[in-house]
Amino acid sequence: MKNSENEYRLEMIGISKSFGVVSVLENVNLKVKPGEIHALLGENGAGKSTLVKILSGVHYKDAGKVFLNGKEINPKNTHEGQVLGISVVYQELSLVNDLSVAENIYLHKLGASKFWMNWKKITQDAQELIDSLGFKIDASAKVRSLSIVQKQVVEIAKALSEDTKILVLDEPTTVFDPTDTKKLFDNLFRLKEKGISIIYISHHLDEIFKIADTITVLRDGVDTGSMAVSETDTDGVIRLMIGRELKDLYPTRDITIGSTPIFEVKNLTAKDTFVHDVSFSVFPGEVLGIAGLGGSGRTETAKLIFGADKKKSGTLTLDGKEIKTKSPVDAAGFQIGFVSEDRKEEGVFLPLSIRRNISVTSFKSISGKFGFINIENEYEKVLGLIEKLNIKTLNSEVNVKNLSGGNQQKVALAKWLSIESKVIFIDEPTRGVDVGAKIEIYNLINEVAKKGVGVVVISSDMPEIMGISDRILVMHKGTVYGELQKEEFSEENILRYSIGKPLKQYN
Amino acid sequence: MALALKEQLKSPGGILKFLVKYNTIFIFILLVVFSAIISDVFFTSVNLSNLLKQVSGIGIISIGMLIVILTGGIDLSVGSMVALLAVTFAILINLIILPLAILFTIAIGFSLGSVSGYLVAYQKMAPFVATLALMTIARGLGFIYSKGSPVTFKTAGGVFMSDFANNATLGIPNIAIVFFIIVIATMVMLRYNVFGRLIIAIGSNEEASRLSGIKVNKYKFLVYAISGALAAIAAIIVASRTNLGSPNMGMAWELDAIAAVVIGGASLNGGKGTAINTLMGVLILGLIGNILNLLNVPSYPQQVVKGAIIIFAVLLQRFESK
Repeated sequence: MKNSENEYRLEMIGISKSFGVVSVLENVNLKVKPGEIHALLGENGAGKSTLVKILSGVHYKDAGKVFLNGKEINPKNTHEGQVLGISVVYQELSLVNDLSVAENIYLHKLGASKFWMNWKKITQDAQELIDSLGFKIDASAKVRSLSIVQKQVVEIAKALSEDTKILVLDEPTTVFDPTDTKKLFDNLFRLKEKGISIIYISHHLDEIFKIADTITVLRDGVDTGSMAVSETDTDGVIRLMIGRELKDLYPTRDITIGSTPIFEVKNLTAKDTFVHDVSFSVFPGEVLGIAGLGGSGRTETAKLIFGADKKKSGTLTLDGKEIKTKSPVDAAGFQIGFVSEDRKEEGVFLPLSIRRNISVTSFKSISGKFGFINIENEYEKVLGLIEKLNIKTLNSEVNVKNLSGGNQQKVALAKWLSIESKVIFIDEPTRGVDVGAKIEIYNLINEVAKKGVGVVVISSDMPEIMGISDRILVMHKGTVYGELQKEEFSEENILRYSIGKPLKQYN
Repeated sequence: MALALKEQLKSPGGILKFLVKYNTIFIFILLVVFSAIISDVFFTSVNLSNLLKQVSGIGIISIGMLIVILTGGIDLSVGSMVALLAVTFAILINLIILPLAILFTIAIGFSLGSVSGYLVAYQKMAPFVATLALMTIARGLGFIYSKGSPVTFKTAGGVFMSDFANNATLGIPNIAIVFFIIVIATMVMLRYNVFGRLIIAIGSNEEASRLSGIKVNKYKFLVYAISGALAAIAAIIVASRTNLGSPNMGMAWELDAIAAVVIGGASLNGGKGTAINTLMGVLILGLIGNILNLLNVPSYPQQVVKGAIIIFAVLLQRFESK
């Protein structure tokens, strides 16, 4: 390790870790230089998060060595990791909702040496830190009042409040729209210039190729090697990630779309949110994309239609008949499905088995008199869906919390596929989902549409929404700003509508 | 179920996992063996039937507590409800025919529980607060209607109930049979009935339940109402055993019920717990009291031991989640 001081900031060598009998990491190496943005890639369950958690002191490794600036380190908890200069922004937000932004940013300092805290100074410092990142957030505001994007910014600020030497970002842009992402990248480049080493985990390969210097790919807990970004391309990385050739990410659509709309929304206005005058229709067999920046009201619109938020005015028409959805119960009764973007909080029942998750919406078809469930029918139905959706599990009794993100998402989808839905709203169908599972989910969406269901997909992932939709609505400031037909699809057009600008006219 | 069990036993370390998973039952068996060794009197039919009679009342309200806790709530009012409803039953039995007295008492229990249910489900009041209020109201009403002293059974119906409560069928005390029937019914409901499935779903993720189109409020309302009805059945049983209804009955029973449910491995966050394990929790608590009585341990040290057992049981369950 003589030369390591000069060349590498961080060296993780021969790291192995298993949970019980399951081996998660086997002999993994990761070397990061000062001032380097190092992308850590791999499918869900490949071991990226575990490797990071070993670095930060959440988990303890079974074998291997970690060197920071050439000195061996063994952080036993996250506090030790922080003191060493290792800051991690995890995929799951870990903020305290009832404290202010400033208090959250300096939370780790509470309980440190001093008894009294100088709140005024802390608030000032926090404000400066956030301003320096280029985002507008009031440091004295309660975290509860922030949007999910702002919360993510606070997480990043929190990681930078220490004298950080290594910054780890685990899927930091999943909630960001392109403008915010660009801001984040500018910040990362600045930090990089300051000599901070950045480990960047993401499923968005286009991001990786924009910012990373080096790439390390993990597959099934083994690293398949590191390379400079300039030495490879997207296809090469995907090959390393999934270990096979990737033909087409997006399925070809050969579906006849019905001519009369299955579902129509007219002048829908919310009571408590800023969504107003939303009108659109979905045709049977159609995949309708809803694009827009974070905070443009996409999710709110879906929740409004589904009855989870209160409506002020507007009409919904299903199969030619006007319907009222005052609550999700009504919506589900009309065979409208809704897959939430917040899988863990709103989508699945983590502590319950796959079977119990899936059958929660379909008791009507599997239970008899007095609500007694026909267990055989239930198994048949659930096992059928597990096979069809290719959910990777030992059996139907595995708790959903033990599944990877992609498989959890499939369970959330299965819940609505198990009943015969007429319209399904899917909010961010592949957030935090690996490439392999993405393809399966796209095929699934396609298959559902084929049955004549109207599928509405909300997504911030531009290639995704263009790849799977037949038509795209773009939302801006709480209403539908524009509609794009297939031949008009482009990132530029979506973006122009997203920020409230007309399309460029080419004469 | 059987299939999953078989697979589990076959998997590596499966037997250990099995032991940890069913730890409540093993604690129970250990306690039985320990009690049998330490005391000659323990395994006599008189002692065992006394034990069962003692736990039946608390056992029934523990089942109500379980279904409330499964939704992520808590019902602090059940102990006081037992007092109020025991007084109510004693008054009613002296006024009207027995079947009506039983029916009305249960209906009143259901209605009182509905008040908690309404406050929690539709007024979004914290379960702890709503049922705390109901707890003091019920205790107060019990004293008002009984004028502060026990109301004794005076009619033939009272004699019948007293006979029923103090006799046994096939060696099992009748009131324990009532308790066991409720346990089995709850077990079946939780496993094979939509109602049971949905309250577990609500307890494990209320928002996801709402967005799955489940009538969350209706079910939250119902569990408190059912808990109230079960408190009424417990009240009828304890009143019948002693031939009277007293406003002092059921003192701090809500705490024993919570303890039994927790020893039975349920999570106070909701979504986790079974009727059979709650039964074990009830029996474990009863057994501890019973064996300590047989050993002539005074009641204060008994409380210390009970507390220690609760801590031990919950610590053991942490292995399960790991």
